[in-house]
Amino acid sequence: MKTAREIWYLLQKELVLEWRQRYALSGILLYVLSTIFIVYSGFQQKLAAPLWNVVFWIIMLFASVNAVVKSFVQESGYRQLYYYTLVNPLALLMAKVLYNTLLLLFIGLLTLIVFGMVAGNPVEQVGMFAGIIGLGSLGFGIIFTFISAIAARTRHSATLMAILSFPLVIPVLMELIKLSLTAMGFTESTGIEKDVMILLGIDLMLMGLAMVLFPFLWRD
Amino acid sequence: MMHWLRTQGWKYLGLVLVLYSIVMGMVVPLHSGISARTPLSADAGDTVAMHVEGYNTHFAQAQEELRAWLMLDDSLTLAASRIAVQDDRHLVATFVLPPLLPTEKQVANFTLVIDNPIDGVTLLPEALFVRQDTVAPQAVVWQGGPEMARLHKGPALTFPFRNILRETIRNTYFHVPMWFAMILVFIGSVVYSIRYLRRQQPTDDAYAAALTTTGIVLGMLGLFTGMIWANYTWGRPWSGDIKQNMTAIALLVYLAYFVLRYSLEDREVRARVSAAYNVFAFAALIPLIFVIPRLTDSLHPGNGGNPAIGSEDLDNTMRLVFYPAVIGWTLIGYWISQLLWRINRLEERLLDEE
Amino acid sequence: MKLHLAASLVFLLLPLASAWSQSEQTDFLRQTGMIYVVVAVMAVIFVGIGIYLIYIDRKLTRLENQISDHDQNG
Repeated sequence: MKTAREIWYLLQKELVLEWRQRYALSGILLYVLSTIFIVYSGFQQKLAAPLWNVVFWIIMLFASVNAVVKSFVQESGYRQLYYYTLVNPLALLMAKVLYNTLLLLFIGLLTLIVFGMVAGNPVEQVGMFAGIIGLGSLGFGIIFTFISAIAARTRHSATLMAILSFPLVIPVLMELIKLSLTAMGFTESTGIEKDVMILLGIDLMLMGLAMVLFPFLWRD
Repeated sequence: MMHWLRTQGWKYLGLVLVLYSIVMGMVVPLHSGISARTPLSADAGDTVAMHVEGYNTHFAQAQEELRAWLMLDDSLTLAASRIAVQDDRHLVATFVLPPLLPTEKQVANFTLVIDNPIDGVTLLPEALFVRQDTVAPQAVVWQGGPEMARLHKGPALTFPFRNILRETIRNTYFHVPMWFAMILVFIGSVVYSIRYLRRQQPTDDAYAAALTTTGIVLGMLGLFTGMIWANYTWGRPWSGDIKQNMTAIALLVYLAYFVLRYSLEDREVRARVSAAYNVFAFAALIPLIFVIPRLTDSLHPGNGGNPAIGSEDLDNTMRLVFYPAVIGWTLIGYWISQLLWRINRLEERLLDEE
Repeated sequence: MKLHLAASLVFLLLPLASAWSQSEQTDFLRQTGMIYVVVAVMAVIFVGIGIYLIYIDRKLTRLENQISDHDQNG
């Protein structure tokens, strides 16, 4: 119960911080918009649905990395240590994961709307696609948050963040692309529960491991 | 004895097993097979003179007892009316096709079966397509001549003949163990990383790093040998097959592991953080190795890219060579890692003394 | 470090290598039931393990030099 309250407070703290430094959030939004515009002006035409799907998830992937990379870097080492003495480190990790998942969900939905307006929207079942974005945000959120905790220990955190996390998200990305093709009406939706279960299983396993391993990361 | 086996013997065991797999893998002959035949199709009622090219066959030596059939299914066979042997690898089998086939379809797909006491029975599926214009109004009485019976077993110790693979089926003992050994070495590396996190002994971290280096080498060898093999059997070196991609991704992950190590200065932090990454990364690879391949089509053997190898792809003779090869290469992988680790340990000790 | 640099270099060269092997479809390797493909695979493994051994050997040489320096100084 105490942990839950801690998570809640920490989540609020993240939101307040984000709101105070609006430039970070607006930076990510601008990043998404300009990426979409670059993709659009590069292709100069309406994208076929499978291609649209892949491009969407790649935009989402890069925006996610850029959004999450700062989670453990932005606060100075001493302030971090101070937090760890105040609250349960696991609560901190979970709050960060939760916050990043929400942030990525927001980015994903925004990308969907803007990309859909600019390059056409081949998604048939928008609700289902939004759900898939939610699943993807959770998976990306867990992996990127944990890797950003690792990358924060090094000096070149932005580069390392990409190197360390991209190979790891590939399984999640493959499942997401497969699932969203279903939402576009390309593949039968019969086996969809299995894919969702696999995704949730991956998320659950990685979240558990992140919680077990996190104590080894923040200590000095 | 047990002590010796545990400290030194496993290294020699690895050597012996790899040597055994090389010798057996190269010496055991391929089972006889049918590598080519003409014509590929015929009409019902034709008399077909089928030119057959055998592989590892002894047609001339077994001339007297040579038999051949066209087979539609187990009960419907058509014996060759005449077999003319040209040499050990070539013969012409003459089949008199009846005007009406015992099937309701317009096209029948016959398997060619050749049997002799020296080579044993040899099959070629989809050897002859036979078209018929009119389908028999009622069930025809099938007169296939001498029935397919008393088939010979052939030599006991052979590797199966596959038309696209031919002799390259032997690569099963050289290419595939690289991949298996890579996985087993990476598993060892994760075990040592977990041990480090539990006991904080620097040597455990060093062993994990050494095993990872070996795993990368094995993975690259698996990738390259696979590309060579694929070029000559699947027609191109890189088909974007799930297992090729998986190995490439695993290599990316573990190369990133070393980038991470080199960007951390403090030895204790480096050991701790890289151990945590190693465990997390391996877990993230698990679905890629064990779950997704099962759901995706693959050119690799196994049901839909099943990571295990099915009994269809690996017969008992092959198992006899394949499993020792896997164990042998894994042991050698651990041996080389141990050498690397011992050098690292000495370096560390030297650093500590200064 | 060198090994890993070499490793990443190899990774970059992968597409190149595949382009090369496609243009070089000589029939030599297809002779005699493609047994030379097996020879090529075994040669690659041998060369790979050989390069790895050279890497370890050089590490060991470096260590030996360090030890002799250490002995002279101490």
